[in-house]
Amino acid sequence: MSVYRKLSRGETEIDFVGHRRRWFTISAIALLISIVALFVFQLNLGIEFVGGVGLQGPNPAGAEVPEIRSALADVGVVDATIQLLDDGASVRVAAPELDTATEVAAVDALGSVTGADHNEISISAVGPTFGSLIAKRALIALAVFLGAVILFISWRLEFKMAGAGIAALLHDIVITVGVYAITGFSVTPATVVAVLVVLGYSLYDTVVVFDKVEELVEIEDRKTYSEIVNDAMNSVLARSLATSLTSLLPVGSILIVGAFVLGAPTLLDFALALFVGIAAGTYSSIFIASPLLATWKEKEPGWVDRAERIERRSKSGRR
Amino acid sequence: MSRRLVGLLIVLAIAWGGLAAIVATGTTPRLGLDLQGGTSVVLTAPDGTDPELLDVATEIMTRRIEGFGNVQEPDIAISGDNTVVVQLPGVEDEQRAIDAVGATGLLSFRPVLDSTPGETGPLAGSDTPGIDSQTGLTIEDDITMEAYLLQTDAQLGSEVLHVGPAALEGGDVAEAIPIFSTQSGQWAVSLNLTTEGGQKFADLTAAAASYPVGDPRRQIAIVLDGEVVSAPAVNPDVSPTTGISGGQALITMSGSQDAQQEAQDLALTLRYGSLPVAFEVSAVQKVSATLGTDSLRAGIIAGALGLALVAIVLLLAYRSMGLVAIAGLTVFASLLVTLFGLLGAAQGLTLTLAGVTGIIVSVGITADSYIVYYERIKEKIRDGLSVEDATEEGFSLAFRTILTADTVSLLAAILLWFLAVGAVKGFAIALGMATVLDIFVARTYTRRAMALIAPTRLGKGGWFSIEGAAK
Repeated sequence: MSVYRKLSRGETEIDFVGHRRRWFTISAIALLISIVALFVFQLNLGIEFVGGVGLQGPNPAGAEVPEIRSALADVGVVDATIQLLDDGASVRVAAPELDTATEVAAVDALGSVTGADHNEISISAVGPTFGSLIAKRALIALAVFLGAVILFISWRLEFKMAGAGIAALLHDIVITVGVYAITGFSVTPATVVAVLVVLGYSLYDTVVVFDKVEELVEIEDRKTYSEIVNDAMNSVLARSLATSLTSLLPVGSILIVGAFVLGAPTLLDFALALFVGIAAGTYSSIFIASPLLATWKEKEPGWVDRAERIERRSKSGRR
Repeated sequence: MSRRLVGLLIVLAIAWGGLAAIVATGTTPRLGLDLQGGTSVVLTAPDGTDPELLDVATEIMTRRIEGFGNVQEPDIAISGDNTVVVQLPGVEDEQRAIDAVGATGLLSFRPVLDSTPGETGPLAGSDTPGIDSQTGLTIEDDITMEAYLLQTDAQLGSEVLHVGPAALEGGDVAEAIPIFSTQSGQWAVSLNLTTEGGQKFADLTAAAASYPVGDPRRQIAIVLDGEVVSAPAVNPDVSPTTGISGGQALITMSGSQDAQQEAQDLALTLRYGSLPVAFEVSAVQKVSATLGTDSLRAGIIAGALGLALVAIVLLLAYRSMGLVAIAGLTVFASLLVTLFGLLGAAQGLTLTLAGVTGIIVSVGITADSYIVYYERIKEKIRDGLSVEDATEEGFSLAFRTILTADTVSLLAAILLWFLAVGAVKGFAIALGMATVLDIFVARTYTRRAMALIAPTRLGKGGWFSIEGAAK
């Protein structure tokens, strides 16, 4: 039987739980790299978070936003927010913190493209728009949400599933953040929103897998917990891969076609987080959440007894 | 025609008809600051203002705009030493929004010391410092001092009130709610005072009640940013020893046309407290989009391409069921865009670039629900069930899973909506709508459509059938 047919019929026999050391090692390395990168390179926070410098001046030449953007990019000012005021009569630019030389070059570049005199361009500090209030409120919301999720999954499925699900979730978020630290892409409010999408997606995926485990636990009474988890994983593997594919296709397309081919760099910040997060979410629900759950459950007295019973029976059967 | 088919046609008509209707009437979703631009308001504080006060002021402004409801995802930033730049995406009632953001919102309850009918105060022409010599009114009201303030009332005519220092101020208000009093037939703002505020209010009203009925000193002036909102006299039955206890006060709006809106705006201003600094609006300008339509087009083209690939995958993996899913995703997307359009018109909800791509991504993620369902059907057919039974039984099993997973998403949406502000709140709305629609479409469309195709050649047939996908 071909791999596709096996997969499609849920008849693969991959030992997800048995090889857990391998998966945990891979994830541990990825997490370590992410955390180290976070400390070494740090996140490139956008002006929305840390503020920057604002340039404002008249625009007698009637320059358009794309012209101004490329003129500023030529002198090394990227990730700037450019706005025309009063139908193009003047221009306002908010750029990340600049060193003195770049700032002078930026004023020159802006002046030459808009036709404004140097002394007509004002320079001022710009504070963050995604201020501490928004960040604080978002963090509180997140904490309350995680608490509520633990309660809900504990009630609907069981507490240890909630624990394993949250562990997988944190795994996905740390890796997503790590990728931002390594690539140096700027973190914007859109990135924050993308991370929230990842959070929801990661949980959705994990809940679907655990729902299957719960269903099998109720009907199987001659298998160890690890075997049940393996069965559940193999029967939903096709589904997991298919759902990841259908989620990753539009995201990947926005990332590659939108950001690189059609040239809308702002899409990058958003789509990268989604892409990495969803990929990590699929991986973690199969290779982290489930083995973690099995490891944890196997320690319960009831399941230890059953594992021993099955062990004895298979030995006596062999004799 | 079977009931199933009728139900299915109704759902399709709502979804596709709704989309056609909002496109035809131009109620398409409103675009955010980054895609369409909006209004920029520059608020300037007096020179030498403590930077920390500016921080506090921007926080209060953020909360007020949020409470204002008609504006989504504003940009508020401190600029330079003493200015705050507020950017609002396309607002209907621009002036009202600017007022709501920039109004100081300094509320005070003052004892009335005397009143003079007419529009000129008793000190007119006296050259008293701080008093306008023409009108005899206080130029700059300081709530810790006495003042001469004008009260205009459509029925009673104007009078100049001589008021004492504030006995009670905005900080003594715990909660402010706009209400319509059926008793007086007028809009009012109901105030719940803090314990301390309640005591101050009782003392103030007790003092006022000690004067005979008809004496102007029985009045209490409610002053907002130097303007008298109302100056009611305490009722004759109020005891001069205890005053009005209970920690509740009512500010009745004058019976103007916009009384309801005034009450709502005032309640909002009081709820989030007064700004610690008096700002002046120094510039109101139209601002262009920061990204423009080329980014939007790039996002939409790329997203559409990605969704086309999703459609191909669904067709190859699930055959005729894939066809049902693709039609279902257009139902989902049409409903989502319609809702965004309607909420844009009703609530001022705006879509940023992240929001637009978010919708595209949510369509891809919603394909999940179909896949969960279809895998169940395949499983049941392999267990030996007929195609009809498998689609029916598979649905109840899959729906349970979808409900559990969607509940988690809905939980996130509701909590983020209540707790977060700004861009995160915008995301919460989108997530919540997408989740509810996912469940709605599964129940009303998918189940019926699958039951309809199950007995046909699309159910049991060759390669392009449900059976064909399961084998």
